[in-house]
Parts: sequence; structure tokens; C-alpha cells
Amino acid sequence: MTGRTAPHLAFWLSLLVALLLQLMALPEGLAGFRPLWIPLLLAYWAFNEPRVPVLVAAFGFGLAIDALLNAVMGQHALGFVLLTYLVIKLRGLFVMFPLWQSTVGLIPLWGLYAFVMFWIDGVAHHRSDPWLRWTPVVSTTMFWPIVSVLLDAYVRRRQRRQDE
Amino acid sequence: MGLRAFALLAICGGLMFADFRSDKLAGLRETLSWALSPLLWITDFPQHLREAGDYLESREQLAAENTQLREKQLRIEARLQKFEALEAENQRIRELLASAKALQENVLITEIIAANQDPYAHQITLNKGARDRVYRGQALVDATGVMGQIIQVNPTTSVGLLITDPDHGIPVEINRTGLQTIAVGLGDGQALQLPFLPGNADIQKGDLLVSSALGGRFPAGYPVARVYEIKHNPGEHFKQALAYPTAKLNQGRQALLVWSENRETDSATETLVTLPESGAGKPESTAREAAEPATDKPATTPPATGGSKPATGSPPQTAPATPPVAAPSPAPAQQDNKKPATTNR
Repeated sequence: MTGRTAPHLAFWLSLLVALLLQLMALPEGLAGFRPLWIPLLLAYWAFNEPRVPVLVAAFGFGLAIDALLNAVMGQHALGFVLLTYLVIKLRGLFVMFPLWQSTVGLIPLWGLYAFVMFWIDGVAHHRSDPWLRWTPVVSTTMFWPIVSVLLDAYVRRRQRRQDE
Repeated sequence: MGLRAFALLAICGGLMFADFRSDKLAGLRETLSWALSPLLWITDFPQHLREAGDYLESREQLAAENTQLREKQLRIEARLQKFEALEAENQRIRELLASAKALQENVLITEIIAANQDPYAHQITLNKGARDRVYRGQALVDATGVMGQIIQVNPTTSVGLLITDPDHGIPVEINRTGLQTIAVGLGDGQALQLPFLPGNADIQKGDLLVSSALGGRFPAGYPVARVYEIKHNPGEHFKQALAYPTAKLNQGRQALLVWSENRETDSATETLVTLPESGAGKPESTAREAAEPATDKPATTPPATGGSKPATGSPPQTAPATPPVAAPSPAPAQQDNKKPATTNR
């Protein structure tokens, strides 16, 4: 590991793309199944790369989403930071698991994130259809292996290039 | 690591608390939205590509559309002539009553540059902001009805809340009977509900709901929704009706901002109450367009609306939904009693 630099550029770029994907218009039927792109990316980096500032990014992108979606200031930031922190804490446990087990193991964390959002909405008296809060958990779980494999491939190729 | 996470969580908690309790974060939110608006334009880009694709439409199609539009224009102009005559007549009659109420409202065409991608918040972002004198609480309409109102103003953009959002309530009047009530968004993105109808209210399927001037926020007389279902659960105090909005909320890229704050006549109260009411009872279509009848209604209740001009945005939008439940239903009744009385005298 020593001698290799952390993939800072890839980290920030991937989060920016996630932010754009979060804002992209989707057909009405699919909108409820939009994966939680930013938590997905944050979780990936928190898992695999201890050297990038994931917590700070979680906070910053959370505030950006709050402003863009016109939510209560700090709502998404809180969810992102909490999720990232838990993933970092659980890294030691998860790192031994094969991909499919980490996919299953992360479901409670997505659920927790969805619940925190739902709960803050409740406190802020934003009524919303509770089902729509839970559907992204399904799609995020489905996208986790795909995103994982893609980013793993990129990171590994980059390391090989740096070793040479 | 734990300490840092805890500190960030504490900051988030503090931000949320501050945002709940006060308006102190409005500046931060405004700056952030302004700084992030380029992102909205990027995500909007595919839409523009599709529009560019429209340039390649075939010539015949365009020609056909052109003739169609020409015919429509002719029809509308024919109607407009009548309308102009009516407007002039109305103006004269109003002058007789010594009131200088302007009939026309100021409008500004804006483009919808983004829809909130939260499926549970029905909000749209518009490309006009504080620089175009957009204000919080401003009404938003399209060619076929009321769309919603502005809830946040940034320097160059603004955010509108659609009438289908469950946080949104709009005072409406049933066009057929004049019954005043409140329409609240249902939250499924398509319909409105009228939750506070008395059990004996006269309402039918197909009734048109038009905006009412009670509350002073929306210009009166714009179509809002059409009733498609009426429920009355035995044992409950209120009848409930469901209605589809007449505005095309999920189609189209344009919306109209309406400046309706014409306060010149607020002082000239009681005298002008009588006449337009008698006109409003007559043919519904003309009454609605020509007389904008309900604009006089705020005049009958000047303390309520007159004071609300600077404070349009002060209470949260949920305010119209709950407290005035009792207010609107008795209010029109009083007015109705009063008006015939004044006419008789």
C-alpha cells in the first residue's frame, strides 16, 4: 500500500456524478425506485479507502442535497454522516465477507438511513407516502454489487499503473 | 474519527433545529441554491437535447400545426372581441361606482427548469427569481388553471409548491354554488381532496372549483380542479371530495407568475360590493373571466387581507390548511347575507 496515492480525484468525481444522477429526471413510475446514489458511493469509499475524507464529503454533499431538494437544512447531511460513520465502524467486520454477503449485510444500513429520513420528515410535519421512503432500499441493494465491481476494477487498474 | 463524526452530527442537529425554529438559515440556503444552480442546468441538458430534436420535425407536420394554430387563434380572437367589450363595459360600470380596480393582473412567463426529484415533494424550480421581483407566496398558474405558489425565492431562481403537494392548501369556491372550502393536496401527485365539506354540502361529480380570494394569496376566479369523486362515510362529520387539478401539472415547460397585489381599492369597501355579485350569479363562464367577481370579497374583509400583504410569506404553507377551516364556511354565508341586503337598500 505504501507509496500509492489515494484516488482523490476519482472520489470527488464519483460523488459529483452521484449528485447529478440524484437530480436527473426519471419517468414517474421509476422515480420511486431511484437508488440512493450518494449514500451508495459514500458507503463504497468508506469501505474501501480509509485515506479519503469521506465524513467531510458526506456532510458537504448532504447540505448540497438539502438545498437542492429544498428539505430541512441538515436532514440529508445527518443521514449521510450517520451512514458513513456506521460503515467505517463496521469495516473490520465486512472486509472479510464476499461481495454478496456485504450486499445483504448493508440492507439494514440503507433501511436505517430511510428510517432517519422518514422520521425527520415526521418531526418536520412533511407528510409523505411512507412506501416511497422504502422502495429506494430495494434498488440501492441491487445497485451495490454493480457499483462495487466497477469501482473495484478502476481502483485496481490504477494501483497496477502506479506500481509499474 | 468518532469525534469528528459526532461533531458533524451535532452540527447537522443544530442546523435542523435552527431551520425549524427560525428563518436565520434562509441566507445560507439561498446562497447554496444559487451556487448549485449550474448542476440543475446540467441535469436539464437531456431535456434540451430532446427539444433540439424537435427542429428536425418534418415540414408537413409543421405546416399542419401552423394551420391548426391559426384557426385556434381566430377562434380565440373572436371570443376576445366580446371579452374586450365586456371589459370596457365593466370598467365603465366600475367607474360609476368610483372604484379604480384594475382588471388585469400582471403576469410573467417563466420556464420550469427542474422538478424536485423527491417523489414525495411536489415542487418545481423556475428560472425567475428575486431579480424579477418574484415574491414568496406568489401564485403560479398555467393556461388551464392554478398550479401552485412560490415558497422560496433565490436571486435568479425560485421554487414553487404544486397544489397536489400534501403540504399545500388552497381556498376554493365551487363555481356552481359559490360554496367556499379548502382543497388540500392528496400527495399521490395527481389529485386534491376537499376534506372539510359539511355533510349537507351541495357538491356533485364534475363540479368545477375556482380559486377564491379568501386568504388574499391567489387571484380569484382561476379554475383549480374538477371533482371526480365524493365520499361520505357514515358517522363522520365531514363529507370528503376528490378532484383532479385542471392545470397540466406534469406536462409543459412554462408557467405564469401572477402579480395580484392590487391594493388600490381596499379602502373603497362597502360600496362596490353589490354589483359584481349580481353579475357573478349569472352565466358562469363570462362571470368568471370578465368580472373576476371574487376580488371584491377581500374588500369586504379588509382587516384579514389588507394586513397580509407584507406578511404573505410569514407563516408556513400548512397554515391555510388547518386553522381557517371554520373561517371560510361561515364567511361566505355572511357575505351572501350582506350583499343582497345592501342591494335592497
